[in-house]
Amino acid sequence: MSVDPDTSPLAEVVPLGRVPPVACAVVAANLQAVLGLPTQVVAARQMPPRAHLRARDQYDAAPILSALRSEVESIRVRVGVTALDLCLPILTFVYGEALVGGRVAVISSARLAAWPHGTAVGTAAGTAAGTAEEPGLLYERLAKVALHETAHALGLTHCQDHGCLMAFSVGLEKLDSIHLVFCPACEHKLVVGR
Amino acid sequence: MSEPLRVLVIDDEEAMRESLAAWLRKEGYRVSVAADGADGLAQLSAGAFDLLLVDMKMPGMDGMTVLERTREVRPDIPVVMITAYGSIENAVTAMKKGARDYLLKPFDPEQMLLVIERIVGHQELVRENEALRERLRQSARDGVGDLVAGSEAMVDVLELIQDVAPTDAAVLITGETGTGKELVARAIHALSSCAYGPFVVINCGSQSETLLESALFGHERGAFTGAVSTQRGRLEMAHGGTLFLDEVGEIPSKMQTDLLRVLEDREFTRVGGVKPLQSDFRLICATHRDLPARVKSGAFRADFFYRINVLEVRLPPLRDREGDVELLAGYFVEQIARKLGKTIQGFTSEGLRLLCGYSWPGNVRELRNVLERAVVICRADQIGARELTFLASEEPDAMVPMTLREAENSHIRRALDAADWNITHAARALGIDRVTLSRKIKRHDLSRTK
Repeated sequence: MSVDPDTSPLAEVVPLGRVPPVACAVVAANLQAVLGLPTQVVAARQMPPRAHLRARDQYDAAPILSALRSEVESIRVRVGVTALDLCLPILTFVYGEALVGGRVAVISSARLAAWPHGTAVGTAAGTAAGTAEEPGLLYERLAKVALHETAHALGLTHCQDHGCLMAFSVGLEKLDSIHLVFCPACEHKLVVGR
Repeated sequence: MSEPLRVLVIDDEEAMRESLAAWLRKEGYRVSVAADGADGLAQLSAGAFDLLLVDMKMPGMDGMTVLERTREVRPDIPVVMITAYGSIENAVTAMKKGARDYLLKPFDPEQMLLVIERIVGHQELVRENEALRERLRQSARDGVGDLVAGSEAMVDVLELIQDVAPTDAAVLITGETGTGKELVARAIHALSSCAYGPFVVINCGSQSETLLESALFGHERGAFTGAVSTQRGRLEMAHGGTLFLDEVGEIPSKMQTDLLRVLEDREFTRVGGVKPLQSDFRLICATHRDLPARVKSGAFRADFFYRINVLEVRLPPLRDREGDVELLAGYFVEQIARKLGKTIQGFTSEGLRLLCGYSWPGNVRELRNVLERAVVICRADQIGARELTFLASEEPDAMVPMTLREAENSHIRRALDAADWNITHAARALGIDRVTLSRKIKRHDLSRTK
């Protein structure tokens, strides 16, 4: 996809809490390369305190998305990146969450650094991204989740094409099986939506 | 693309309700939310939903009550119960009251997906099932299409078909040759509860008694000379469906007794076999004979007649179906022209006059055959007298008795003339192959100049 920095809308990557710069850089690079959105990494923000669910020691994605929505009008999409474990009140965990068409998304690396069959590779939930023994794999997963959630934020829903980035990934094995590309139908929707 | 699943989420906790709704929207579902049971039921009665997700514990009307009310008003909508107070007792109670599944919140995304996929899969099956049924009903209507009816006599028959189809009773269809008895039988089958079962036809008048017995009952290997393998009979094949005995009036007396026993016990043995076999089928029979008269004369068993004649559908001859010739002719021409890739806009006034003035002794079958031939040879955009020369010759002098050979000679000559001596077209109009027609032309010494 070609990029025209003068006319294309901007995407923002927002570190939430302590996030290694390389993680944000990977996300930004992929948003720019795959979605064709000129992207910049902005200053880190604190996690909204009300997002913390003490009983579960996890972070509710909904208040985070609400916080990210402030002043989103000036840009095309804003993606929060955290190393903390995300969930929804109704779900035990999520890799990421977005408001469909709401231009905000949040992703977490907390559950991405494990081998497909559940053996941790060095990054426990809540540990900063980038410390996995297989950082390449972690960043690839992070990029996939970021692109998936960003596309949600831009209005796309899940896709039935199992190889598409918009296919629903219920586990790391599934996430690893999809490619870093959108299917033609989803790519068309993204282009039309720009 | 199919319509998105419509989901109603009923949960008093806003965070739960909204996060679940948001997650489902990402799946592409159309989601509505309700904060309590009363609102949920109100939305349910006002809108169409494919799935309900209901929280078990809510103030006021609890989830179990919502489930019960939903089952009362919309038993077809699957309900999944959600509870944070998960206990196997709650789940069992909910399932007993008709819940499709339950989830303990917070739930694993994979678990959620599996539950919904299972329900979506089931709903799709239900929809496919409905679509199949509709297609069956449609094909029944199409089948009845050849029974296209505008006349009072035929409309009564179609109404009777609708009435008798859902019952399990044996049906006897009577009427002259060519009136569409098998079509009626197929329509009854397609509209009956055994529509998904087989429709097995056997013509009882076209084979010898021995062959008919073997065809009906089947035979074991070695039962008679030539029985090299075991064969299932039509009675077995019809299990779960309909057995259609065409020309039932031709069944020999001994076999009537055998069949009567089968109809009473639903049990029989293959020819040469000893093992009793069961078969459950609906029986439809057809005849052009006057069976009551044959019963009276002793040519047909009375007990068998009463067993097969629980309900009678009497088909009127085409000459008694006022206005139907024009209706049927239009239907057939459109159907045949479409099949042959031709564009024909009905009939000229002369063509219509010939069609309506003819007596149609061969009934609907004859009408269809005549029109098949007419469409084939038609070069204009309407069928006229040229294509219907057969009918024009039904003058009093043409009705003078003649020998079969003379009749065949005359009939073939007219078919050839009508087809401009195109053997293929004439053979098709006569319902025989080219080789047979060529042989007959030679035998009758027919030529274009003669």
